[in-house]
Amino acid sequence: MERAGAGAGFRKELVSRLLHVHFKDDKTKGAVSGDALQLMAELLKIFVVEAAVRGVRQAQAEDAILVDVDQLEKVLPQLLLDF
Amino acid sequence: MEEEAEAEEQQRFSYQQRLKAAVHYTVGCLCEEVALDKEMQFSKQTIAAISELTFRQCENFAKDLEMFARHARRTTINTEDVKLLARRSNSLLKYITDKSEEIAQTNLERKARKKKKSENGNHNSRELAEAGVVESEK
Repeated sequence: MERAGAGAGFRKELVSRLLHVHFKDDKTKGAVSGDALQLMAELLKIFVVEAAVRGVRQAQAEDAILVDVDQLEKVLPQLLLDF
Repeated sequence: MEEEAEAEEQQRFSYQQRLKAAVHYTVGCLCEEVALDKEMQFSKQTIAAISELTFRQCENFAKDLEMFARHARRTTINTEDVKLLARRSNSLLKYITDKSEEIAQTNLERKARKKKKSENGNHNSRELAEAGVVESEK
C-alpha cells in the first residue's frame, strides 16, 4: 500500500501522546479522532519543515555555511505568527 | 507520602523526556531531508532548538484543540478543530484543508476495500455452509 507523503514524519501514536500530556479537561481526556491525529501529524511536519526551510533561506541570505541558531532566531518570530 | 509524590514527579519527568527524545528523532529526520534537498547543513543546536520549539508548540495546539471541541460541545477532537488551528496563514490553511480531504478520501477507500473483502469472505463461507447442509441431509 502506497503511503501518501513518503519520507520522515510524526507517528500517530507519538502525536496522540504529545497532545494528551497537555489536555486539561477531564471530558476530552479520551478523544482525538484518527483523522484528526493524521492531520495533526501533517501540521507538525509542516511546522518543522517550515522552520528548517526558513532557516536555510536565512543562512543563504547571509552567505552562511550552515544553519545555526543565529539564523533560526531570526526566522522564529514570523514562524510563530504564522502558526 | 512525600516520597510517593516525588516518585510520581520523577516518572512524569522521565516520560516527558522520552517524548522529547522521540520528537527530537523525528525532527532530526525531517531536517536531514531538508538539508539534502537544499544542500545546506544544520547545526546540532539548531535541530535541538527546533525540536524544543515543536514540543512546546504542542502544548498550545493541545489546549486550543481542547477548547475548540468544547466550544462546539463535543468531547472528541476532530479534523474541523485541527483546521481551525491552521487559520493564521492562508497558504497553511489551504494545505491543511487539502490534506484533510486527501486523508478522508484514503480512509474511505480503505474502508470500502475492507468491506468488499469481508463481504466476499461471508459469501464464500455461506456457500460452503449451504453445501454442508445439503450434504448432511443426504
